[in-house]
Amino acid sequence: MSFDQFLQYISSGITSGSIYALTALGFTLIYNSTDIINFAQGEFVMLGGLVAISMHEWGAPLPLAFLVAVALVGIVGVIFEQLAIRPLLSAGVLAQIIVTIGASLAIRTVAMLIWGRESLPLPPFSGDSPIVILGASILPQTLWVLGLTLVIVVALQLFYRRTLTGKAVRACSVNPTAARLMGISYSRVVLLSFGLSAAISAAGGVMITPVSFMSYSAGALIGLKGFAACILGGLGNPVGAVAGGLILGILEALTVGFLPFSGSSGYKDGVAFLILLVILFARPQGLFGRRTVEKV
Amino acid sequence: MLAISGLRAGYGRIEVLRGIDLAVADREIVTIIGANGAGKSTLLRAISGTVGNRSGAMDFAGNDLLRMSVEAIASAGVVQVPEGRQLFGPLSVEENLQLGSYTRRGRRGRPAGEKMKEVFALFPLLEERRAQQAGTLSGGEQQMLAIGRALMAEPRLLLLDEPSMGLAPLIVREIFRTLRRLNEAGLAMLLVEQDARIALSLAHRGLVMVRGQVMLEDSAEGLLGNPEVQAIYFGRHAGRGVSGTEGG
Repeated sequence: MSFDQFLQYISSGITSGSIYALTALGFTLIYNSTDIINFAQGEFVMLGGLVAISMHEWGAPLPLAFLVAVALVGIVGVIFEQLAIRPLLSAGVLAQIIVTIGASLAIRTVAMLIWGRESLPLPPFSGDSPIVILGASILPQTLWVLGLTLVIVVALQLFYRRTLTGKAVRACSVNPTAARLMGISYSRVVLLSFGLSAAISAAGGVMITPVSFMSYSAGALIGLKGFAACILGGLGNPVGAVAGGLILGILEALTVGFLPFSGSSGYKDGVAFLILLVILFARPQGLFGRRTVEKV
Repeated sequence: MLAISGLRAGYGRIEVLRGIDLAVADREIVTIIGANGAGKSTLLRAISGTVGNRSGAMDFAGNDLLRMSVEAIASAGVVQVPEGRQLFGPLSVEENLQLGSYTRRGRRGRPAGEKMKEVFALFPLLEERRAQQAGTLSGGEQQMLAIGRALMAEPRLLLLDEPSMGLAPLIVREIFRTLRRLNEAGLAMLLVEQDARIALSLAHRGLVMVRGQVMLEDSAEGLLGNPEVQAIYFGRHAGRGVSGTEGG
């Protein structure tokens, strides 16, 4: 493989890796405030892409379609929390995790009824004439994906570190009871986490659609890969989630590049699960996680 | 200010508090002493709302605490310094204090920065460590931060759960001196303490709790001089500094 080919694979790896990163970040936000693994996370990605497609079909310019999709799916996240998660508060985390699987199927079915079974396209944010960097031709969409992912990650960090509300969210994930004693409404923090988590994953969905289309069933695989990215980076660690997503995307792309036989792209999807298994066996706390002992 | 009557509370089917009557007046410190498992901490948790199953009557300056959420009770000015500090360990000292003023956000009154200066004046060590993670502080510093965090909420009644726990006597005395100063400035407190002697030295009144009920209620001096209290709750320290109790 030549160097420019290598760069090509890296750039496509970073593109899909960014989406895994945003999905993983979505998992992390919900996990940190509730201990719930939300198996409907991938559906938020899918909804983001499909809503943007419809907005664009109705004549909305792409930036507006992006913003509407993110806001709308954020609201879906809030409704999801109210309808599916909140009623099971006393039933415990396991029941809540199981209900996310059910919700995932429900959302997927509704999406199929609205948008059909076809994979639908969205034009790239700024044309599709490749930019040549160091001999590799890189799609402008790759730069958009990387740039917007960076903006989201930085904005989220600023929110957590600089604003009182962000600090309250962190306080709740450390010690919900003590946070409530300080007058912080835990239930509102949970609601906020679901909204933010859905919106961030939706942003990933809108960005990836010009590269790989979107269909009602695409969320499941992206969700599982986002989860694998979380485990790789260390569950609950936002920095780990982003790093895990990028590493996973790049490894996937390189697998396609290095496996010597044709049709190796079919093996791409296996990489995520191989990593998931290896990490769970060898280093369950993830690359960036700390070992914790759960008291039962 | 705080008036409780017939308070019952517990966890699940287990009833821990079996009819408690208690009042705290303005500017007063009331302490609750009793053995492990008497229900002292549960009483504080029932007041702050972190124990479910509550019944009876509980009024704080016109607020019916039984009908209020944990957050609303804190906003009303009843602020708990919980057992074992319960700090936000990975957050900095400064962030912990800022979160203490969470109920004051967007309200009129003094800005949080000014309040923080007051807390730093009370506990200068905290100012030196303001950027440090709360979880890396020593036990005494953590207790100071827990109290400082509660003060940031500008409480009208401070609920203190075992502030001396696990701390060296010198630090305990320093913390109790600060509590006295806060009380002299007008802050009312309800103090739960294993160390009955130091608790009674600070408080105006004391209650002795046994198995979820109040067995005895008296002025702090009265309880300090009560031979029965001395024998049971001052343990092997009995007689130290109190005349006429040697050999008790």
